[in-house]
Amino acid sequence: MTLLIIQGLLNGLILGAIYGLVGVGLNIIYGVLRVVNFAHGEFLVLGAYFAWILLQQLGIDPFFALPLAFAVFFVAGYLLYFVLVPRLSRSDDPETSSLLLMFGVSIALGAAMLLAFDADSRSLEVDIEPVFVSFAGISLPTIRLVALGISLVLVLILAGFLYRTQVGKALRAIIMNRDAVAIVGIDAERLSAIAFALGIGLAAATGVIVGMVFPAFGPFMGSDYTLIGFVIIVLGGLGHPIGALAGAMLYGVTEQVAVVFFNPSVATMLGFSLMIATIFIRPSGLMGARQLG
Amino acid sequence: MQSPAVHADYAGQRQVDQSVDRLRQRIALCLFAVLVLVLALVPVVSTNATFAFYLMLWIAMATGMNICVGFTGYLPFGYVVFYGAGAYVTGVCYRVIGVPILPSLALAGLAGVLIALLMAPTLRLRGVYFGIVSLGLATIARLIVANLPDEYTGGSMGLILSSANNPLHSFYAMLAVMAAALAIVLWLSRSRTGRQLRAIKDDAVAAACAGIDVPRVRLKAWLLAAVIPALTGGIEAWYTNVVDPEYAFHVLITAKSIIYGMAGGFGTIIGPVVGTIALFGIDHVIWERFPLINLLLLGLVIIALMLFLPRGVIGSLLKWRPQLRRYIA
Amino acid sequence: MLTVRNLVKRFGGLQALKGIDLDVPERSILGVIGMNGSGKTTMLNCINGIYRADGGSIRLDDMELVGRKVHEISALGIRRTFQVPRVFRHLTLLENMDVAQATDRVDAAEREDLAAYWLDKVGLMRLRHNYAEELSGGQQKLVELARVMVARPRLILLDEPFAGVNPELAAMLLEIIGEIPGRHDCSVVLVSHDLTSIYQLSHQIIVMNEGAILTQGNAAAIQSDPAVIEAYLGA
Repeated sequence: MTLLIIQGLLNGLILGAIYGLVGVGLNIIYGVLRVVNFAHGEFLVLGAYFAWILLQQLGIDPFFALPLAFAVFFVAGYLLYFVLVPRLSRSDDPETSSLLLMFGVSIALGAAMLLAFDADSRSLEVDIEPVFVSFAGISLPTIRLVALGISLVLVLILAGFLYRTQVGKALRAIIMNRDAVAIVGIDAERLSAIAFALGIGLAAATGVIVGMVFPAFGPFMGSDYTLIGFVIIVLGGLGHPIGALAGAMLYGVTEQVAVVFFNPSVATMLGFSLMIATIFIRPSGLMGARQLG
Repeated sequence: MQSPAVHADYAGQRQVDQSVDRLRQRIALCLFAVLVLVLALVPVVSTNATFAFYLMLWIAMATGMNICVGFTGYLPFGYVVFYGAGAYVTGVCYRVIGVPILPSLALAGLAGVLIALLMAPTLRLRGVYFGIVSLGLATIARLIVANLPDEYTGGSMGLILSSANNPLHSFYAMLAVMAAALAIVLWLSRSRTGRQLRAIKDDAVAAACAGIDVPRVRLKAWLLAAVIPALTGGIEAWYTNVVDPEYAFHVLITAKSIIYGMAGGFGTIIGPVVGTIALFGIDHVIWERFPLINLLLLGLVIIALMLFLPRGVIGSLLKWRPQLRRYIA
Repeated sequence: MLTVRNLVKRFGGLQALKGIDLDVPERSILGVIGMNGSGKTTMLNCINGIYRADGGSIRLDDMELVGRKVHEISALGIRRTFQVPRVFRHLTLLENMDVAQATDRVDAAEREDLAAYWLDKVGLMRLRHNYAEELSGGQQKLVELARVMVARPRLILLDEPFAGVNPELAAMLLEIIGEIPGRHDCSVVLVSHDLTSIYQLSHQIIVMNEGAILTQGNAAAIQSDPAVIEAYLGA
């Protein structure tokens, strides 16, 4: 039994890292733009499909597809920003409007994927030797450990970007105080576009990882990931990119350890209940800033 | 405090003000009466009342959503939880426990109110948080129902209500619920509660400073809004004979309620009706001809609406010609 | 009527109010002046319940207000305006008046007359069917004032009513506020940087500095107080 629990813990950490990437992407978009990206999960799945097409049509290994996916979706996100977002700021209630707008995007993307790829589940086949890594009586799929590694690398790169580069620091500044940034002379519009692009690119990259780690993906899995993403950023604190990682770990571990004892539905319910409890007990999340009212 | 001359002056003014209000309400009342009458006659003149039934269903759902969004200022992404609960309570009571259909529906409505009460603590959350929590709760509800023993919920096959089958009665039950929903928003638009709700939506702190008991008023509206989808879910199960687990808690139900309401414009009472008639009509036509791209078009319509017509048709009309506010409730 | 004793409010490590004592008698106007950040608005927020005081007491006659909810305090007869007017933007002026009168026990006709009286007084009667968002900032301040008065309050807290208002409007406000205690049986706590108006209107003035009351007195006394001149007025 303890072995199962430890295995659950490890799986939880691995999944937590992946979920964390989802949460970080969502958080960057929300923190900078105050846009709730309801379509985040769909971009994630789209990234998986992207890698799948590259594999099927061009024989490109998913490991190479990952940076490609990021690049392509970064550009797409940048352009999409200017199509979707500027009008929102002129509406009565930008936050609600963005919620609804991205909700529409999520439905449209899900339907588009259904039309393009049919409802069949796909998977990203990755050949790795050995298939399992075993130690101390615990067995983990190698690909998951590799995914953990990739995720951590991505997080490090992201952290480096946010804390070491000019653009990254400007992004963090905007998250802390939008108006002040405009006064200081930074072009908030272009920065917002970069943030959006970054979030979308990250979503797609995460999608490639998800495609590699999980046995299958389909057009409508997006909403599950979006929901998990929300749970995590609430746990970690809305607008706090690195806090999302902490929240993700907590959620991942809770879910995976619960799966040892209960069926998956119950595990999911526990995860969500954790989120709801957090909102009431500590609304700013594990690491978020205190917000008034 | 005021001199008698001043007092008389205001009396005259008051008459004018009241007649303006009355005009607006009469127009809305007439429109609704016509709608109810036309729909009531459908089973009499035609053999296929399905289109009309679902039109009524979506008008009721969009109107319930209007109470949440337009009057109270909440986006309940988990709105479908009331619908699904209503459907299942009706199904279980009728099929498993053996309660007659009408009391089963009443219990469905009660279930909606109970769930809304359980969710009452979430009402003090800010917009984004509320939306997320509401979605989370709906997901939990869906999972709970999916995990209950099959003897009660029919498992993945759902529940069949065969012996209750009565398309005519269920049609008129839906008409009654739709009429009730419209009556509720009509009442809200002219009552102090409705004004207070709109004030709360504009500025909750200022509303409290003006003496409004914000949590209490919000709860009232929330409970009212919950009954409508609960009853609707139950009646739909009655009409179609089936409680379908795939569909009962589907996010599309929330989505369509939002879109149909938004297309017309939340906050006005005519808006969601207009929006539903327009979009459901289009949706129906497209679904018949192009079932595959139906969902895609739905998403694109939402995007287009949010980008170009965020206040909906009626809302944008009112913004463009504010004088029309005299006539459009 | 209003008795504040040793009012304390902290925000994290910052002590915003360090033990405030003041009295507001019936039918009087209390002026409150002080530098930005001295705690004036915080004090108002504590009185009407937006902030919960960390220590001390606020009593209206015999009733303790600390710990009560905002709408309870409003229902007891304390109303306020805000520095940046917080009108209900999507309600008409008449509706703005109406929602503030929910706690009034008189019949509808009297309530409507009162609403009309105040809208007329602030010169906005002809705009009564317009939505509050259509009005200018100055007009919205007038709406706010009318809205607090239609509730027949016992005490109103005015936060910078003259800020950003043109001279003509300011003169109107001055006149209206001046007659409130006598004509409408209501006291006023007036926070403002407009010293001329403060001197003209107030029976008593308190000067706040860094969360505490520096001194208190009538207009003449304050103007000539060296401590006040040094801290706030300038030589």
